[in-house]
Amino acid sequence: MSHVMLHQDILPARILDGLLTCVGRVGLAKTTLDDVAREAGCSRATLYRHFPGKQPLLLAAVARDADRVTADVVAAADATDTLADAAGAVVTTGSSALAGHRALVFVLMVEPEALLPYMSFERGDALLANAAARIAPAFARFLPADRALRLAEWLVRMSISYLCSPEENVLFDDARVRTLVEDFVLPGLTQGVHQ
Amino acid sequence: MSIDPLTVRDRLLEATYVCVTRYGIAKTTVEDVVKQSGISRATIYRHFPGGRDELLRETVAWELGRYFTELADFVAGATDLADLLERGLVHARQSIRRHEVLRKMLDTEPERLLPLLSTESQRTLPFIAAFLHPYLQREADAGRLRPGVDIDTAADYLARGILSLIGSPGRWDFDDPTQVKDLVQTELLGGISRVKQSGC
Repeated sequence: MSHVMLHQDILPARILDGLLTCVGRVGLAKTTLDDVAREAGCSRATLYRHFPGKQPLLLAAVARDADRVTADVVAAADATDTLADAAGAVVTTGSSALAGHRALVFVLMVEPEALLPYMSFERGDALLANAAARIAPAFARFLPADRALRLAEWLVRMSISYLCSPEENVLFDDARVRTLVEDFVLPGLTQGVHQ
Repeated sequence: MSIDPLTVRDRLLEATYVCVTRYGIAKTTVEDVVKQSGISRATIYRHFPGGRDELLRETVAWELGRYFTELADFVAGATDLADLLERGLVHARQSIRRHEVLRKMLDTEPERLLPLLSTESQRTLPFIAAFLHPYLQREADAGRLRPGVDIDTAADYLARGILSLIGSPGRWDFDDPTQVKDLVQTELLGGISRVKQSGC
């Protein structure tokens, strides 16, 4: 077996990937730090040096992937020319990223009790505020700052609502996303705004 | 005397509800429900084969149903859809705090309640949408909807928005009537109701 020298900056990312691979396979409760270390190809002691426990490891993985998803969402919106297309891109890009996240989907389907407290009530408010603040810049070209924030928050709410009712394929049907965005969400939020 | 099975079910849910208010969710046992309801353990398991977990889950669903029924009664006198949504949202937020069992669950075992508001929302969304449907129809008949609005789609959209707002108010302060009015007119009804004529 050949040993590859791991660059200092790459190892933490491999550990986070290892965690998500394990969680996507067996869930959060059954994933042990030994599993993660094995998956990342490092020792348990090395893993501990970077992440002192399962909870800090999990939080780091969530923070990293939240950064990634919101950056992808904003980039997709930036590549469009109209507000309607930008809003549609936010919904479809964000939804595909979340629905394609195996660890997230496993936890939501099999052990929702681990995740839902972070999505509802006071902590849900924090999640909404955080996601809205990250996504709002995608609408800065078209709307005043406060309207951009409101739009971002509302799109996040709608996307979560559809993602949580898995019988719905609305988010992966471009025509229905257009209906949602153009017919229901935008008319109110663009009222009185010159585009 | 024969007992309607629906009645036994309701009596068991009611008894479980009483036990939860008295002992909390974590401490409520099937034995407590036997004592409270006077219904045997065997009968309880016949109605709820999943035992304690199923009984508690169904009690939460039943209680949530009562919460929405009470909400529906509260807003029944609303003059129009906007009035209904404003009053409904304010009342929904206030009463979820007052509702003893629901609040206990939020405080102690949120994982039992939250799936009903999110991943199992297919149980609650159609209830809200069906309630809103006749109000939307009335708006349509009065010519107050934007042309081309599909009532079923609009009811589903509003139900999702309302359920989300009940779960997390986010940026909105439901004690401030101006904010609630703005939210209803903009996010909820902006694409559904005809725009009121304004100067610009």
